[in-house]
Amino acid sequence: MPIAFEHVSHIYSEGTPYRYVALSDVSLDIPEGKITAIIGQTGSGKSTLVQHLNALLMPTSGTVRILDRTIEAGTRPKGLKSLRGQVGLVFQFPEYQLFEETVLKDVAFGPKNFGVSEEEAAVRARAALKLVGIAPEYEERSPLELSGGQKRRVAIAGILAMDPSVLVLDEPTAGLDPQGTVEMMKLFRSLNRDHGKTVLIVTHDMEQVFRWCDEVIVMANGKPRLQTEVKTFFEDSRLCREMDILPPALIRMKDALRERGFDIPAGIQDLDALAACIAGQVSHHG
Amino acid sequence: MGNFTLGRYIPLDSPVHRMDPRAKIMAMILMLVAIFFPAGWIGYALIFAVAAGMILLARLSFGFIWKSMKPMLFMMIFLLVINCLVLHTGTPLFAIGAFTIYSDAIFQTLYIIVRLLLMIMITTCLTATTKPLDMTLGIEDLLKPFERIHVPAHEIAMLISIALRFIPDLIEETERIMKAQESRGVDLREGKLTERIMAILSLIVPLFVSAFQRAEDLANAMEARGYAPGEPRTRYKVLRMETRDYVLVTGAACVLAAMIWLAYFA
Repeated sequence: MPIAFEHVSHIYSEGTPYRYVALSDVSLDIPEGKITAIIGQTGSGKSTLVQHLNALLMPTSGTVRILDRTIEAGTRPKGLKSLRGQVGLVFQFPEYQLFEETVLKDVAFGPKNFGVSEEEAAVRARAALKLVGIAPEYEERSPLELSGGQKRRVAIAGILAMDPSVLVLDEPTAGLDPQGTVEMMKLFRSLNRDHGKTVLIVTHDMEQVFRWCDEVIVMANGKPRLQTEVKTFFEDSRLCREMDILPPALIRMKDALRERGFDIPAGIQDLDALAACIAGQVSHHG
Repeated sequence: MGNFTLGRYIPLDSPVHRMDPRAKIMAMILMLVAIFFPAGWIGYALIFAVAAGMILLARLSFGFIWKSMKPMLFMMIFLLVINCLVLHTGTPLFAIGAFTIYSDAIFQTLYIIVRLLLMIMITTCLTATTKPLDMTLGIEDLLKPFERIHVPAHEIAMLISIALRFIPDLIEETERIMKAQESRGVDLREGKLTERIMAILSLIVPLFVSAFQRAEDLANAMEARGYAPGEPRTRYKVLRMETRDYVLVTGAACVLAAMIWLAYFA
């Protein structure tokens, strides 16, 4: 069952001079079992959009369908807690949500809130910490004395321990070093490919979208401007430029080579294939 | 948290918004003092007329004033009950069971309520039309004469402006952390007592951590730019009193004079 937005609008501070339309008449389907990237300028409504997925925000008008729930504007549905257990939302800079005395307790906090027993929660917490690459000797430390990158991992583990079937991440790698970013993205990919979780990532990083995601949604001014497969989106740079987005380095490279007379087929999407293609053409000339 | 109206700045373009904050603060103080003279209902009618005129001039709605007053409602009812229990002077009006309500109890409460209402109207005229930063500039200038008796005018103003500056940040931060914890299954509205204590803890600990972090960052940023309290400083924004500002202060002084006259000489 896909995730669907039907004519969803969200207006902040309605009825005051601070009124702000964050989403206006958004209709889209987000496929299950894929990694979908949501991109767009700051203030385009990305974060507002994803907060509707676990009903932290209610639509001002319209309907959101997710898993087996229907959230309609103007209603106060009961039992949102169970939805929040199934749709794990990791906020931007999630390290600010850590509060427990020890790392293990903090990660176990989520599952315990959803009625998992103390022992089971600890087991799940250990497993989640292992997934994000936090060594067991950190379990009894205070989360507040970890480094920034470690805090981020612990915070993400706190959501993974809830074992949600949909994982929503708002700029999960902002401020991480390049190696940490790759590890993080590998983790999300394996959660998707090996554990069948639907993954949504809000990001500014086109390289990330290009390399790790299946689908892409471009938001602009509170509306989805484009939804397509990542492959199609980056096939050539025209679409990117139309959306005011700087294409990934590889695509720019392909453009530059074409300008200089190389014949680069559209299907080439990784560095090795590109290198082989160039090598073939250069050796012809030589 | 978005519907908290008392003391909130409302960005509009009106003559009152453009007035000098010093004039507005002085006028407000004069009017507040005026309220405390026992000038009877005529006096209150006068102040009400002036305050209502200012609200109209500032293009604020009376609905907004009413919203600001709502938090006081409980206090007003509480006052009425206490006054009814304690005051036994004046003429007995009616009895509830064995208990008699006297006229003075009702009138005293009404007096206090009217005064509160007028105070809220007047202070709202100031806070809703003056940007917090302009307000602190005004306070700093008005405190300047007291520097001779070692009142740290600039430091007080800086303290207030930093505190004001952090309020929206902290509200936003609180909302953010609330959402993050709600995503982890925290239920801030329902649940058993122990669960709710845990819920509040999960909110307060990160909030404190980030507030201290912000304070430290701000202090470092200020020091890095050479800020030292007590040093002579120039200002980016220079306040200038204009005719309308003098009119405002003179008007407020006239109201105060009228109240004194009504109270003691009429």
